[in-house]
Amino acid sequence: MTRFTSALLVVLVLGGTARAEPSEAERAARWADLKHAIFGDRVVEDAGDRVAIDAPMRAEDAALVPVAIRVAQTLAPEIRGLYLVIDNNPSPLAAHFLLGPMADPSEIATRVRIDDYTYLHAVAETADGRLYAAARFIKAAGGCSAPASKDQALALERLGKMKVNFAERTKPDEPVKVKLLISHPNNSGLQMDQVTRNYIPPDFLQNLDVTYNEQSVFRLESDVSISEDPTFNFSVRPTGPASAGVITAEIIDSSQRRFSQSWPVPPTPQM
Amino acid sequence: MKISTILAAVGLLLPTVSVDAENLPLPMTEIAAGIFVHNGVQDEASAANEDGIANIGFIVGADAVAVIDPGGSFAEGAALRAAIRARTDRPIRYVVLTHVHPDHTFGAAAFCGDHPDFVGHARLPGALAQRGDYYLRRLRIALGDGATGSEVVPPTLLVSDRLDLDLGGRHLSLEAHGPAHTDNDLTIFDENTRTIWLADLLFVDRIPAIDGNLVGWLKELDEVSGIPAERAVPGHGSISVPWPAAAEPERRYLEAVARETRAAIKAGIGIADAWRHVANSERGRWLLFDDYHPRNVTAAYKELEWE
Repeated sequence: MTRFTSALLVVLVLGGTARAEPSEAERAARWADLKHAIFGDRVVEDAGDRVAIDAPMRAEDAALVPVAIRVAQTLAPEIRGLYLVIDNNPSPLAAHFLLGPMADPSEIATRVRIDDYTYLHAVAETADGRLYAAARFIKAAGGCSAPASKDQALALERLGKMKVNFAERTKPDEPVKVKLLISHPNNSGLQMDQVTRNYIPPDFLQNLDVTYNEQSVFRLESDVSISEDPTFNFSVRPTGPASAGVITAEIIDSSQRRFSQSWPVPPTPQM
Repeated sequence: MKISTILAAVGLLLPTVSVDAENLPLPMTEIAAGIFVHNGVQDEASAANEDGIANIGFIVGADAVAVIDPGGSFAEGAALRAAIRARTDRPIRYVVLTHVHPDHTFGAAAFCGDHPDFVGHARLPGALAQRGDYYLRRLRIALGDGATGSEVVPPTLLVSDRLDLDLGGRHLSLEAHGPAHTDNDLTIFDENTRTIWLADLLFVDRIPAIDGNLVGWLKELDEVSGIPAERAVPGHGSISVPWPAAAEPERRYLEAVARETRAAIKAGIGIADAWRHVANSERGRWLLFDDYHPRNVTAAYKELEWE
């Protein structure tokens, strides 16, 4: 897939909107439609315990729901892509991670908006094109049109700024655990200004490229389902005593703004 | 000067205008000469309470009336207006919107016929643009037909720092605060009675809701604690409390949330679980704790992880 398919998916979902709480059969039919829209006629296998989605059963804030995708060690080395689909969101394909040579695919996490009680699907794609799907139901509503920005002046002032936290490593061959924070409104375009009767235009993170020493960790294609001030937790493959390692994150948003920032990876403590 | 104002205020207590039969006047308490406050119920918005959950009211001067928060729905705003008209026929010149939240603003439409200035923080229009539609839809869901007439009314007079309103023998000093409870909090100081109307910068008994900036709120709380007022009007809880003593429980809660959320972030606890580890000593000390505390910690976490 060279282009993100959210426009197509929006049409698909709006076409099938039903106000009553959908039955399990309707939910299954929606996932079948989404699967076809994203993966065409390719076979999507049940991942069993090889892929898991970690998310709270019930979200305290539907605009800020933490979701982690975990891939079992037996499958992780083969994985090149991860898809996160929020079935009942206006734009269901929330994220597509294209994993590079420096990625450790065993866990990747972000925060999303959830508009209605929904299944989440995570699909892992192997180098040879097999697809493995995991599902999880989550109870949250209102996250997409919910008001953003508790502090609009700060949001504007900080737009595009990034911050990373590195988890402490104890061994040189341990993956480097990184938490990346990006200050961006990631506006959904679903809030209407009651005074002007205009919708506040969408303004969201379109691509995020993370590299380690200029080699790709992942490239993210993303959309309005990612929360305001997006966060990403991921791991970089072990590369020995990485005192010379540099992590770089580069983003492009839907207004074509570009931001880039780099951080040296803290060295492993001497054992 | 002072004496004449007080006499004028006392004179206002005599009903001069008949009660509008359509709208039963809202019960009001005169907490200081010419300052009338209605005590909101300590609950979530519902059809039964018409979103009348906030403390709202009005201040009467020799020439004019200023409404301080018109209430949570058109119905509540109309009842507040009836309460004003039961006491005075002086013009309602100002309707002050202390911040964007629906329980304080949706009554504004009931005052449009008075053609007042709707006074708000300079950041209120931006917040209404972001949130008004969402709030209105939620109000309609919560109140059903009870939401009829409720509309988003944009402010016509903005305060970016300070503004004095003259009601005739009575000066109200408005202050626009930095991001605290929301990013558009206004407070009103009445010089005559030394009353500070803090609205939702101060919660009493009901758990504070963090919807602006936690660190900023503690800062603004310090600042307003220095105001030499005899009493404060909180947005929720008792309608008149001693100042600044009444700020202490809120300060204690906000400080606990800040301190313990920072510790949770440092310990690597995720945003979804953090609330279970934060400010548990405060449970049982606040109404609606379980309804707001998890969201408060989520908001605090998102703010403080940038430190």
